[in-house]
Amino acid sequence: MQPTSRELLEMNNLNPLVSLREIHNSQMSTSSHFDPTSSHDDFLDQMFSSVPSSASSFPWPEDHAPPPCHMEEQSTALLASKLRQQQISNGAAKALMLQQQLFLSRGLAVNGLRSPSAADIGFLNIPHADQDDVVDGSCYKSANPDQDASIKSLFNGFTGSIGHSSNQPQHLLHSQGGALQSHKFGGAAAPEMNQPAASGSSGGGTAGQPKQRVRARRGQATDPHSIAERLRRERIAERMKSLQELVPNANKTDKASMLDEIIDYVKFLQLQVKVLSMSRLGGAAAAANPLVADMSSEGGRIGNGTKTASSSNNNDGMTVTEHQVAKLMEEDMGSAMQYLQGKGLCLMPISLATAISTSTCHSRSHHPLASASNNNQLLNGEAACPTSPSVSALTVQSATIAANGGGETSLKDANSVSKP
Amino acid sequence: MKERMQNSSLKQEFLKNWIKGLQLHTNFNKNTTILERRKAIKLSADIAIASTRNSTTRWSRALISDASRDGSNKTLIEKISGREAPRKDSFGLIRCSKKIMKRSRVTRQIRARKAVLPSVVGASLIEKKLVKSRTRALKRLVPGGEDMDEISLIKETIDYIVSLRVQVDVMGRMASVADRLIPFKSL
Repeated sequence: MQPTSRELLEMNNLNPLVSLREIHNSQMSTSSHFDPTSSHDDFLDQMFSSVPSSASSFPWPEDHAPPPCHMEEQSTALLASKLRQQQISNGAAKALMLQQQLFLSRGLAVNGLRSPSAADIGFLNIPHADQDDVVDGSCYKSANPDQDASIKSLFNGFTGSIGHSSNQPQHLLHSQGGALQSHKFGGAAAPEMNQPAASGSSGGGTAGQPKQRVRARRGQATDPHSIAERLRRERIAERMKSLQELVPNANKTDKASMLDEIIDYVKFLQLQVKVLSMSRLGGAAAAANPLVADMSSEGGRIGNGTKTASSSNNNDGMTVTEHQVAKLMEEDMGSAMQYLQGKGLCLMPISLATAISTSTCHSRSHHPLASASNNNQLLNGEAACPTSPSVSALTVQSATIAANGGGETSLKDANSVSKP
Repeated sequence: MKERMQNSSLKQEFLKNWIKGLQLHTNFNKNTTILERRKAIKLSADIAIASTRNSTTRWSRALISDASRDGSNKTLIEKISGREAPRKDSFGLIRCSKKIMKRSRVTRQIRARKAVLPSVVGASLIEKKLVKSRTRALKRLVPGGEDMDEISLIKETIDYIVSLRVQVDVMGRMASVADRLIPFKSL
């Protein structure tokens, strides 16, 4: 995915540039528009060499040129940013579609612009379509061999990206895209181009990750080490982003706290598995051997509701407690309960715990699994409020305890009185 | 939508594997303690979820090889994954060599650190230390994580978290189903 996306970015930056060049050349009415001297890059040369030297006249009216100029910049930047986002979100399908789109625009450039009206309409109309939908729609349409329709849909795609323009990283990428373009056009830039591009033109920007020559940002070296370093960091950032979607409560910006969240979440999930496997003893065993003693001896999992010790201490404490209670439960339920009471805990069927916690923290917008992040080691799979006093009681994620439904509830009632 | 379909097929595969493993343990009787039973069930579940990956990910391979280190699990592994329990030799060797490399790297770092003592510890340094220690903790959590570099560690973590969620989901559903199936008997 990496190399293709890099290529994509290349082409991404190129294609609007190609059409921009056309605009300029139509403006300045120079004969040879694809001026190789002003292109500094190998890939640009490639692009231009593939284009036939004699292109049809550009029927774009002069007065329409400035706004498309401006918008082309934005669309470059926006396409680049869009591509980045999709890259990051692993939208392989979408990236492919964009590639298709770009290939089509390339073909468009090759064959000359046949339907300028569509272009005008495209640029002047800024529909507020949803960016992705428009892209998708355009790409599906562009699969059609029909050229006019494809050209129109392509411009729709561009306008979709433009319509998305007003938001966040626009001015950043604007300057970046502007810098890139100014660099690429060299001296042939029209005055309109120079104005917005002047800001970022000094150091040159690395808008994408071109393979051959990397234009470094100001003050950065272009030696391979830092490039590799940067690549590595970007790859890590990508992956962290996809990880962010998995882990709840992952809106942290810095790496350390993200890692912390991840660790907590993994620990929480592993703990859940452990507990559930204990609870499943009921199912497996009871199926084979439906003796009461077995069922009563099946363990509950103990979670500490009080936010006392650090997580590691909690962990150790809990395993010890857990084992203790399990052992006691095998012999005699009563002694197990007494032991728990001594610790200030009690047993409760998980359904009730869920009900209590959801009723108490109804207003909270917490993700239920975020309870793990509070370092509580509370074993509520579903319940979400470790801070609520009623849930300082023990919650048992044991189906068997719940299975011993009625009788157990009576036990629980007796014990629920003795809440700390 | 596609992810949901993938997810449900994952769940089904895990359930199948898990049940296969549990069938080996129908010999539970009064004498087996809770802990033993729990370990057996957890083992089946872990091997089941690991074998849904078909050895494509490192954590799954590490999990299965860890399990196969204990000889008594061999039949279980073979039944669930349907293939031979992997020989642990290759992994062991790789682990040894990487540990040696790591140790040498660590001593080098210690020496370097002793040579240069920053008088003022900047925030970035603290953060770097935090990140390092947490990365180490994560490596300990993810099975087979010790030998991975940071990039693949994150990739493996993603996969591992997805699988853990599948595991928890299926096991939880089994739990609630068994709730209703098991008739209550008074204590």
